[in-house]
This record gives sequence, C-alpha cells and structure tokens, in this order.
Amino acid sequence: MTAADPPVVVIERLTKRFGEFTALNDLSLTIDAGQILGLIGPNGAGKSTAIRILVGLSRPTSGTARIAGADCVRDARRIKHLVGYMPDQFGSYDNMRVHEYLDFFGAAFGIRPRKRIERIREVMELTGTAGMRDKYVESLSHGMAQRVGIARTLIHDPQVLILDEPANGLDPQARIEMRDLLLKLAAMGKTLLVTSHILPELARICQRIAIITHGTLRAYGTVEEIGRQVSRQRTIEVQLLDAAQVARTAAAVRGAVEPEAEVIEAATEASVRFRSVISDGGLAELLEQLVRDGIRIAQYRELQTDLEEAFMTFARPGATASPVAVTAGK
Amino acid sequence: MNNPILQREFIGLMRQPRTVALQCALAAGLTLLLALRWPTESHMALSGSRSQELFRLLSYGLLGAVLLMLPVFPATSVVDEKRRGTLALLLNTPLGAWRIYCGKLFATLGLGCVMLALTLPVICACYALGGVSLSGDVLIVYFILGLTALFCSALGLLVSTQAGSIDAAVRWTYGGVLLWSVVTLVPHYFFIGAGGSLGELVGWLRCASPFAAMMDSLGAADVGSRGVASTIDVTRRFTGISLVATLVCAMWTIRRLNHTLLDQSRSTGTVVDDQSLLYRIFRRLMFLVDPNRRSGAIGSFTNPVMVKEFRCRRFGRLHWLLRLVSSCAVLSLALSILTTTRTIEWDVPTIGGILVLLQVALLVLVTPSLTAGLIAGERETGGWVLLQMTPLSVVRIVWGKLLSVLLTLLLVLCATLPGYLVMVYIEPGQRFQVQRVVICLFATAVFSMLSSAAVGSLFRHTAAATVAAYGLLIAVCGVPLLIWLGRDAPFGHDFVEAALTVNPVAAALTVIRLQGFRDYDLIPANWWFLGIGSVVSLIVLLWQTRRLSQPA
Repeated sequence: MTAADPPVVVIERLTKRFGEFTALNDLSLTIDAGQILGLIGPNGAGKSTAIRILVGLSRPTSGTARIAGADCVRDARRIKHLVGYMPDQFGSYDNMRVHEYLDFFGAAFGIRPRKRIERIREVMELTGTAGMRDKYVESLSHGMAQRVGIARTLIHDPQVLILDEPANGLDPQARIEMRDLLLKLAAMGKTLLVTSHILPELARICQRIAIITHGTLRAYGTVEEIGRQVSRQRTIEVQLLDAAQVARTAAAVRGAVEPEAEVIEAATEASVRFRSVISDGGLAELLEQLVRDGIRIAQYRELQTDLEEAFMTFARPGATASPVAVTAGK
Repeated sequence: MNNPILQREFIGLMRQPRTVALQCALAAGLTLLLALRWPTESHMALSGSRSQELFRLLSYGLLGAVLLMLPVFPATSVVDEKRRGTLALLLNTPLGAWRIYCGKLFATLGLGCVMLALTLPVICACYALGGVSLSGDVLIVYFILGLTALFCSALGLLVSTQAGSIDAAVRWTYGGVLLWSVVTLVPHYFFIGAGGSLGELVGWLRCASPFAAMMDSLGAADVGSRGVASTIDVTRRFTGISLVATLVCAMWTIRRLNHTLLDQSRSTGTVVDDQSLLYRIFRRLMFLVDPNRRSGAIGSFTNPVMVKEFRCRRFGRLHWLLRLVSSCAVLSLALSILTTTRTIEWDVPTIGGILVLLQVALLVLVTPSLTAGLIAGERETGGWVLLQMTPLSVVRIVWGKLLSVLLTLLLVLCATLPGYLVMVYIEPGQRFQVQRVVICLFATAVFSMLSSAAVGSLFRHTAAATVAAYGLLIAVCGVPLLIWLGRDAPFGHDFVEAALTVNPVAAALTVIRLQGFRDYDLIPANWWFLGIGSVVSLIVLLWQTRRLSQPA
C-alpha cells in the first residue's frame, strides 16, 4: 500500500431515507487497503444502515458506495465476492457441524471441493477454531461462534471484511483474542470495517474512527485527531508531593483559568485536575506562579481526550456540538 | 385467575391476532352453516330431522376444530419459553412446577372454552328447532369436546417439554393427535368381531378415539362396523381413557418442569472417525449410514442448499430417511400380506383405500413440517442474510430447498409401491386404477409441498408458518371429508362432489373405488385443481423469495 493507491472503500454523500425518517444523511468516508475503520455511534445512529448499503442488502436514497471499484448497488454480484460480512446475528443452522457449516458456504461461493477443504483448514487455523471442527454450530460458546462467524466471512477470501459488533458479549479473554485476530487480518492486507460499542477495544485496533449520530458523520480520523476535533478544552493534571497543598493549588488554578472552567480537587490522590481553554502561554505562567507560591509539584501534564469522552460529547442527549471538520475522503 | 401464568397466557393468547382470526373464522363458518341449512319449509322444521342433521354435522365439525386448532397453543408453550430464555426466569420464581403447569393448561382450556362458547348460538338454534335433546345430545357432545380439549392440551404441553424446537413440537403433537384420534380406529376395522384378549384390546383401543365416542353419542354406527352390533359403552370408556391419559401426561410434564430442562451440557461433537476400531465396527453394524461419521465436502454439481437442508434437519439425515422408508415399505408389505391372506373378507379396493389413507396422512403430516419453515426458518435464525451474501440465485436457493423435500417425499411414496404391486398381481384389472392412484399421490405430494412452502414463506417465524401450512392442508383435506360425512343429509350429491373436487384424498379414494366414494367422479377435475394450485403456489413462493432478497 502506497500513498498513491486508491482507497478500497469509497462512500460518497450516502443518504438513506425511510419515508420522513432520515437514517443516513450525506455520509462520506474512505477506507484504505489494510486499514481498520471503527464505526461508532449510539443505537439507531445509522451504522447498520450504512453497512447494509455497503454489502448490498439495502439501496441508498442517494449517493454512492464503492468497494474496490464495484458499485454496491449496480455490481451486487461482484460485491458478494469482494466482501465478507458478519451480521450481529450469528445465523446458525441446527444439527450442522462447524466444518459442514463452512463447507456449505464454501460451496455456495462456488469453491471447488478440493480447494474448499484446504480453504476450510486455513480459515479454521487462522481463526483458532481448528479444534471446533466437529462441534455442532448451535452448541458453540458465544466467543467461539463469533470466531466461526469470522471464519465463514473469510471462506471465499474477500478483500474487505465488514463486521457488525464482533466483540459484543465476549468475555475479556475472548475480546483480547478477537482483537488480535482482527489485527492479524489487517496485517494480511484485509480492509476491515468494524462496528462496536466497546470503545477502548476499537481505540486500540483501529487506524481510523468514524462517529455517526442521527445518521450524520460527526467526526472522522485517528483517535488523537478526533480528540482534538471534539473539544478545544484541554484537561491538565497537577500532581503534588504534599496532599495538604491541594486547596492552595486549586485556588491558584481558579485564579488563572476562565470562571466557567471545571476544577477538581482530589485530596486523597494529592492532585488537582482542570478542564480549560487555557493557552500554552497561560499554562507556563500558571506553573511559574505555583512554583513561586512554594507548591511542590511532582507532575504537570496534559491528559489525552479518549474515545469514550469524544463519543459522549456527540452521543449525550441534547449534544449541540456541530459537525467538526471532517477529513473523510480527503 | 390468581395464577399469574394463567393471567399472562390467557390474556396473551386472546390478544394474539391468530387467536382473534381463529375465533372470527369459526364464528363466520358457523353462521354461514346455519344460514345455509336453516329450514325454509314448515314441515321440515316440525320433523326436527334437519336440525339433527345440522347438529351432527356441527358436532363433527367442532371435534375437528378442537383437534386441529387447539393443540398448536400448548405445543409451542414451553418450547417457546425455553427458546426465548424466559423459562429460566419462570423456574426461578417461587411458583413451582405445579402452578406453572396449571397456568398453562387452564390458559389453553380457556381458549377452548371461548371457542366452544362461540358455537353456543348455533347449537341453541338447533335445540330450538327441535329433534335435539339437551341432556341426551348437547351436553354429551360438549362433554366429549371438553375431554378432547383437555387431553389435547395435556399432550401438547408434554410434547412441548420434550421437544427441542417449535416445529418439532408442533409436528410431534399433531402426530400424537392423529395417532390418538384416527389410528386407534384402524385395528378395529381389521379385527372386528375378533374374540378373546385381542378383541378386548382392539375394543379398548377404539374407545380411546374421540371420533368413536362422538359417533356413539350421536347414534351413528362404528367406523367400518359392517353391521356388527356393539354393546360397548364407548363414551364411558372414552371418558376413563382420556382422563387417565391426561393425568399421566400431566404428571409426566410436571415432573419434567424443572431445572433439568435447562441443565444440559453442550454437545461434545464426537465423531465416529476418531473412535477406536472396535467402536467403529460396532457403529458400522448398527447403522447403515452413520449420522456421526464425518461428512465429506459438498460435490461440485450438487445444489449446496439442498445438502444444507438435509444436514441441518435432524430428520433429514440419511439414517432417518432410511428408517422412514423402511417403515413405509414394511407397512405396505404387511397390508399386502393381509390382502393375500384375507381377500375374502377385505376386497382389494378396501386395502387400497387403507394404503391411500395412510400415505396421504403421512404426506399431510410430514410435508408442512418439512416445507413450511424453509424460508421462515432462514429469516428467523438470521441465515437468510447470509444466503443473500452468497452468489446463489433465488431460483437456485428455492430449488435446493424444494428438492430436499421432494426427494424425501418421493422416497416415502416409492417405499409404499410394493403394496400396490401386490394388488395388481392379485387383481390385474386394478392396474389402470393403481396407475391413477399413484398419479394422485404424486400430485398430492407436489401440491402439499408447494402450497406449504408458499404459505410458509409469507411468515417471519417458523411456528406461525408451520401452523398456517398445516391449517391450509388440513382445510383442503379435512373440510371436504367433513362435508362428505354429511352426504345425502344435509348435503346433496352435487354439493359433496364439488367439495370433494379439491380434495386429493377423496380423488385417490374414488379412483380406487372405495365404498362411499364410488358415486363421485373427481378425475380429472381434481388434477386440474392440484396442478393449478401447485403452479400458483410456486409463483407465490418465487415472488415472495425474490421480494425478500431484494435490497430494502
């Protein structure tokens, strides 16, 4: 993948309306080859609608979506070969063993029996389900079923994987294993679009994040970029050596920042944390003053805005944050 | 009504659109019947015979309605709770198995009571017309109907605690109802007049059927009694048997209603290929086709959907099909042996009639459960989206699914052919009739399959699809036979013939010249009906499947 390579997934001004209700509004996004894009948003934000349009299960009202040059509406047949889709519902069949389940989908994709047997072995090894070969699909644990689901999406060796909530309902160990698996797939050159409500997980594996609320793209970029986009306020932490100086420090901070700034005193932790629009110069002056006042400072640092905080900025009821300068497709 | 389950289930049942639809259909049917058969001449009204005819017809109709409509509710009751996960919540309450059972049982019986209450106006009309006594006719009929409803509910609940899926529960319950109400009459037909313990056993077995009790209470002769008078008090015996059977079912169900229903480990998925040589040899001897052997890859030229359908149905596995086919072949040959050894007593058409009845009963029982959930099951489990994501065309998906059912039905039909061959061997003149019967059966199989699949595809849930498919087939096969029961009085020959035209069972029976059907000429009108019905069903199925596969 070089900078000159075109993006694998290109979504342009995608809109979907159900009568008066707009499920998706003018969504534009791109995903480069080998990248993992995390699509997040509250329930009913339009994530699943966007995914269903991408995999050809739904038609957009306007706009286009292309995967590896194939139009998701006009080239629906090609899209099926290009995309491996794992819906949030597993889609199991009773009385079928795991290898029979994979064999069926391999046959449905027209893979020849000999090649199919080899391919089933490969995807089972890749997803760590080789030991599950003879188990009945309906008897699998949730974590294993998710892995088998991913094995199914890989059976026809698609270029793009679209996974709807792959880590939903998994225990911590299974979640870590799922994260490693997704990273492994990205390292193999697969392009992944993943939705999840487990934001720390997404923050760890995704090169890019897109936040959607009410069908509109609100932020797009790396976690750091989104942090900067969503909030001009900075969070600063002053760690003290002496807990007795917390009150004096807080008073000094209040004098230096704007009146509406939030200042939190944590006497037990001997720290003062504040959120403010203070500039770098203002921070330097505040530090100078604290030292002058005899405050013994162990650490003086700016905390990064995390994904959860960014998400909540958009998702909380009555959020008024206007769409940030979205870099999608640029 | 202080049982919370009774409140929830009964009110829940009454709120369901299908319950309302059932009640409306019943009320409309009864009103129509009353309007059609209401006497218009004064001398008819005075004799009271018209009201007796109507009352008899209503009694059989109500019995049929109770047997066909009621079992689906208890059959899906527990298994649905288990599937939804609410059974665990229920067992976790201090209610206890006894109260849970009573709640569910009385909720179903409540529905039965509502159904029977809807018939009160028309029964009152019969009573008002004269010729029908309150204690001798009306109360006894309602008593038999009540016992039937009670046993159907108890049986449905028992099956519901044992079944693993909704369609299996519905299938086994209707199978049990058929066995209890119809098959118990068959030995009596063969061994009528036999003395000793065999005669006694057959007599008791017959008394288990609500049809026998109903016929007895209405003063009709026994099925196939051929003039042999009986002194048995069928209604009394039926009361005893159904109460004991209900009690046994209830005790068994209550014993099952505990944590053991949920306390099941996941299957280890052991395959025979990984076992010791000795065990493999043992399995080889026990199974012609071992279901636990590791299966091979789907062939290049095989429809993968067909293979999937066979594999994902427990019943669809080859060893089960072989068992079914073997049973059919054995039954068919057994009937043939009876034909050859007792031809003087039973003529060839009689045995042919029994063969036809058994085959059609098997088709009607098996086909909806195999076919109705073909599309609904995929939609319910999320498999439809996965199928949509494959390059398989709609036609190939539908063809694969239908093929899996058609092959099963053909195997069943072929297994019964030896019986017909023996019939032709005994009486070569029957050859033409047997050929036509085979065509009738094949047409019935195709019609049952396509109509069930078409009706089932209109539903989102397997249970609803299965019930609707059973309802349609039973309406086509059962209602005309009910009209046939009222032949000459109150229905005329032309009306009965017109009603029987849609009935594949009757068509096959007229071809085989069974007594009671000899006066009707249903071929080729019935074949036209089945052919057009099949084509229309196929069009509906393809249209609905294509619609479902289109992007929203």
